[in-house]
Amino acid sequence: MRPALRLSMLGAAAALFIAACTGGASPAPSVEPSVAPSIEPSSEPSAAADICTSPPRADGKTLTFASYGGAYQKAQRQGWLEPYAALTGITFQESEDSSNATIKSQVETGAVEWDVVDVGNDFGLDANAALLEPLDYTKIHKDEILEGFAGTYRVADITYGVVLAYNTEKTAGAVPAGWADYFDTTTFPGKRGIYDYSAGGIFEIALLADGVAPRDLYPLDLDRAIAKLDTIKSDLVFWGSGAESQDLIGKGEVTMSLMWNGRAYSAKHIDNKPVEIQWNQQIVTADYFVVPKGTPNKDLAMDFIAWATCAENNAAPSDYIPYGPTNKNAEPAADKVPDLSVSNADENSAYFDDAWVVENATLLEDTYQAWKTE
Amino acid sequence: MLLLRPFTPRSGRRPGGGLSVNRWALLALPAIAYLMIFFLAPLIVVSLRSVTEFPKPTQDALSNYARFFAAETNLRVLANTFWVAAISTIACLAIGYPYAYLMNIVRPRIAGLLLIAVLVPFWSSLLVRTYAWQVILRDTGIINSFLLDTRTIAEPIPLIRTTLGVILGMSQILLPFMVLPIYTVMRRIDPEYTKAAANLGAPPFAAFRRVFLPLSMPGVLAGALLVFVLALGFYITPALLGGPKDTMISQFIANAVQRGNLDWGIGSAMAVVLMGLTMAILFVASRFVRLQDVFGSLDEEG
Repeated sequence: MRPALRLSMLGAAAALFIAACTGGASPAPSVEPSVAPSIEPSSEPSAAADICTSPPRADGKTLTFASYGGAYQKAQRQGWLEPYAALTGITFQESEDSSNATIKSQVETGAVEWDVVDVGNDFGLDANAALLEPLDYTKIHKDEILEGFAGTYRVADITYGVVLAYNTEKTAGAVPAGWADYFDTTTFPGKRGIYDYSAGGIFEIALLADGVAPRDLYPLDLDRAIAKLDTIKSDLVFWGSGAESQDLIGKGEVTMSLMWNGRAYSAKHIDNKPVEIQWNQQIVTADYFVVPKGTPNKDLAMDFIAWATCAENNAAPSDYIPYGPTNKNAEPAADKVPDLSVSNADENSAYFDDAWVVENATLLEDTYQAWKTE
Repeated sequence: MLLLRPFTPRSGRRPGGGLSVNRWALLALPAIAYLMIFFLAPLIVVSLRSVTEFPKPTQDALSNYARFFAAETNLRVLANTFWVAAISTIACLAIGYPYAYLMNIVRPRIAGLLLIAVLVPFWSSLLVRTYAWQVILRDTGIINSFLLDTRTIAEPIPLIRTTLGVILGMSQILLPFMVLPIYTVMRRIDPEYTKAAANLGAPPFAAFRRVFLPLSMPGVLAGALLVFVLALGFYITPALLGGPKDTMISQFIANAVQRGNLDWGIGSAMAVVLMGLTMAILFVASRFVRLQDVFGSLDEEG
């Protein structure tokens, strides 16, 4: 989901500069965007009640939606953007290169072009307050969102699992039971794929494998995690993008891999490779909607976010990709349920403590790089 | 690199006097304006950012640099960056010099084909070629599959995720930058010189070593400098073909810019350090070669 290897420093600087030069070229109309004329002026509470089934009309308005492209964004388009456009008359412009760095450069140069952005779980907390609009919880049904997945500046739009995927040909039919088997290269010979990111789960799975209970993960015991990781360091293959992980596990270049469940699903069902998921000890996490600070379409953005996180609408993308809802009352199609992270969650499932991770991002990254490049 | 001496025509080389040179120089104005806006200005922004943006408020303008140099990891990766760039340069030279020499001695039509052969991969995306190297080098790739299937080996030989993999990928991408300057300089060497050496009794190798090789050295230096400087900035290739120990500084810069707490301050500081070291190398090189010959040699075909 997260294209990890993208901008060079120079590219970022150039983007900054270009953004500065094109500032004000945003296609947003300058009329007051608060109340759509064709709707009778309704009071705030009832608007919130209605927003799930009849969101306010926004004929002639444009909203720019940025996500991670590919099958993922296609699912969001089919599940959310197209139905919402049909209901409200709004037009969506799409960008397929969501990146925290781009949000920062747009906001800092005052040239905000993105209205609703799908970001990863390492973004949107208080640390990024200067870059984001607080969400309008008079519209969004916060009480229906899974515990811990709705914050001041972000609300989860889809859930997914950081899972243990394995190539059944390479394991000769044996089934790894959890992360301990990921670290057991005697019983399960072969290489191990891992996301090349300090906050992508590498420390967490090492501790889970070492016997730490999911609820006791944080604060992370980095020394213990590093000691565990050292036991298989020469067997690790670091991947930088979801596509790469899908390729590694499908080809059998690695026997097991930490993966996003959608990529493991694609390896099996799209590429037709002998790949299975071990849901035990998955890390349940999410992508989030955020609204960059200073967008002229803030209210339209809030309407859309409120609508897309409603029980009625939140599970729609799950029809097209095995990523799950964040609204507790949303009901994905029955045949999709077995492939979703939330429906496989149990007492062994872990959750990232995003606040702790972000607070300690520099420590995590420095520890990780020092260990990895040593 | 162009900024070191953007246009110092040293008019002695060109007949016609200073006035006409100045008039022609006007043609460069759009290019100069372009460089100022899209190259110099971002560089200034990056440099300023490195001393003004910090993850936590501080009075120390150089704290990003202090943080950078305090971490042993950064210095190790920086040293590795220069090491990999140097090896890539040597690899390019080892392949590029004989190749350019061959281009220089064959008939023009064959030389044209050889030129196309070196340029064709150059026209496809760097990313695509790096993925192609993955397909060739990995444990389940072409080479290892063949060797395993023929039972030449029992275990895959480590080709990918090694320094060798990085060097292979980088030198293939950088080869044209070595071949072209060397070939251009070789073309300018009057064949009569080596013939004269032979007439005076020099055996072929001595004629090459004492006459042709010294005359081709400007091309070698130009190519080596170009390849080395370009190699310093690589990061996709080492990320996809190298192992953890082959990390280069540009990967760290990208991480700082994109990830975690968006620490653009230290990312900018790293970029400035890399730029400073690159300029220092160009400065030292300028004591031995005229840089305008290096960077101008591509379009001065004689």
